Amino acid sequence: MTEMIIRRVGLLALILFAVSFMTFMIVNVLPGDVAAVVLGDGASPEQVHLLREKLGLNEPVLTRFVSWLGDMLRGDFGVSLLYGQPIKPMLATRLYNSLVLAFLALVLSVPVAILLGTVTAMKRGSWIDRIISSLTAVTFALPEFVKGLALILVFGIWLEVLPGSSLIEAGRHPLSQPLILVLPVLTVAIGMQPYFVQITRAGMIEAFRSDYVRTAVLKGLPPHVVALKHALRNGVLPAVAVIGMTLGNALGGLVVVETVFSYPGIGQLMVSAISARDVPIIQSTVMIVAAAYAVGNLLADIVSIALNPRLRY
Amino acid sequence: MQNASASASSQIPPLRRYRLRPVDLVLGPVILVVFLMLLVPGWIAPGSPTEFDPMASLIPPGGDYLLGTDEFGRDVYTRIVHGARPTLIVAFAGAVVGVILGTLTGMLAGYAGGRVDETLMRFMDALMSFPTLILATLIVVMLGSNPVNVVAALAVVFWPRSARIVRAVAMDVARRAFIEAAWVRGESHLFILFRELLPSVMNVAVIDLSLRITYATMLSASLSYLGVGVHPPTPAWGLMVKEGQQFIQFASWLVVVPCTTIAIVAVTCVLLGERLRELLAPAHRGEQ
Repeated sequence: MTEMIIRRVGLLALILFAVSFMTFMIVNVLPGDVAAVVLGDGASPEQVHLLREKLGLNEPVLTRFVSWLGDMLRGDFGVSLLYGQPIKPMLATRLYNSLVLAFLALVLSVPVAILLGTVTAMKRGSWIDRIISSLTAVTFALPEFVKGLALILVFGIWLEVLPGSSLIEAGRHPLSQPLILVLPVLTVAIGMQPYFVQITRAGMIEAFRSDYVRTAVLKGLPPHVVALKHALRNGVLPAVAVIGMTLGNALGGLVVVETVFSYPGIGQLMVSAISARDVPIIQSTVMIVAAAYAVGNLLADIVSIALNPRLRY
Repeated sequence: MQNASASASSQIPPLRRYRLRPVDLVLGPVILVVFLMLLVPGWIAPGSPTEFDPMASLIPPGGDYLLGTDEFGRDVYTRIVHGARPTLIVAFAGAVVGVILGTLTGMLAGYAGGRVDETLMRFMDALMSFPTLILATLIVVMLGSNPVNVVAALAVVFWPRSARIVRAVAMDVARRAFIEAAWVRGESHLFILFRELLPSVMNVAVIDLSLRITYATMLSASLSYLGVGVHPPTPAWGLMVKEGQQFIQFASWLVVVPCTTIAIVAVTCVLLGERLRELLAPAHRGEQ
């Protein structure tokens, strides 16, 4: 088991290296020139040339990659072109805010999904199964911003019970203003539902088919006891196993939700860096989100191995 | 992953297996309208989607303007109709290119096996280690913000995902007797890949495509909502939402109308995909 985990962590290091390499290459090797991207369409060749000098872009790509990677490993994420400040403190706050959002959404999402998945599995084929399954299919198809704006319209504008924008004053902790978190957390949680519900439903159906559940049913135990005491334990394993992955996915999807609510997370930092053409920030935010995604997938792997001894070999 | 019963019932051509379902009565008209918007937007909305009219700014829906007007006095209905192309054609093209690349890669990996398989699939894994939206955004931003690059970005996002699915099927099929027979007959690898293997993975590729088109529509709308890949005054639906959001307090139709359109199209895509799956892979019906 320990050996397995060590091997996975080693694999993670490899993946992170690949991700950083690809991020750097996409930014630096694709036809778009970084200096030209930074300066915009109206830049003269001289300006582009000067900026290239300043950013050290005339060095060979591989040399620049190695020094960028080295800096990052030492915790130096470079300096923002727009603000002229080191990026690292910005990244830390923003990442923290995003994690708060994703984590709260997860805490809200998992119990609901397990409930819905269990109910649909128990009543398979009934109208309640059909309604819940179609609803999850529909929410799955809707882009994040459509869901977020629908919530803003209903709760922020028509009912006027919750704020529609989630700006946090500088220096304040996101949890100090719980009301502004409600709608973004709901949006992310609704986005997490479909996958969780489907996986729980499939896991529960599988569990209901097993011999020990049939034994329990034949013993004359009432259905809810069979479901809760016998089937659920194995039935939720697949859903538990993908929690890490869902968290990683959510961080990737936060870009949109944070933009909808002007919530100061890492995704919103990336979007504003994109419109400001702040390449060092773009590079670091992409790298951080991709790293979080990779760690999430790794956690999913480790959890499913821990839960299912058969995968250990 | 087609099992024996699936291949037995797939002897009947899919069109013959078609039975009208109530849901088709809703799907049909919606698909027809979307196609009209794509093919002949000028017929159903003759006005200009980009011309300013300061006298008609922010008029609520109803009356002269069916779906209201925006802050520049542009008719929202006209913009929605003309926005189908920049929103959906990009998504469709990206999904098609991605699935074609993925099918070719997956077939090659599954058929060749060994080192070719290993190399191709590790490259696919590397592409998949990025969250989809982030990778797409990064590619468009670096290549330049225009629709062609959005197609390229969507294709790169779907390529590895499609390749994985097709590879699983191709590996299975490649071990079957008819492939070996072709090999013994002395057919070339290219012949085997395209004349023997391709038809067997086709169903899976088409089902995968229907799923990718749904994702692509979402992704393309999200990209344009973030302002990536499209520029004003293009009436792409996501961009319309982005521009309308500042007026959400007192002109909510600027958000509601494009969001509802996106929702209708997205749900139609899901339902259409499900119908397609029923026709092409009947063994899975009633399963899940």
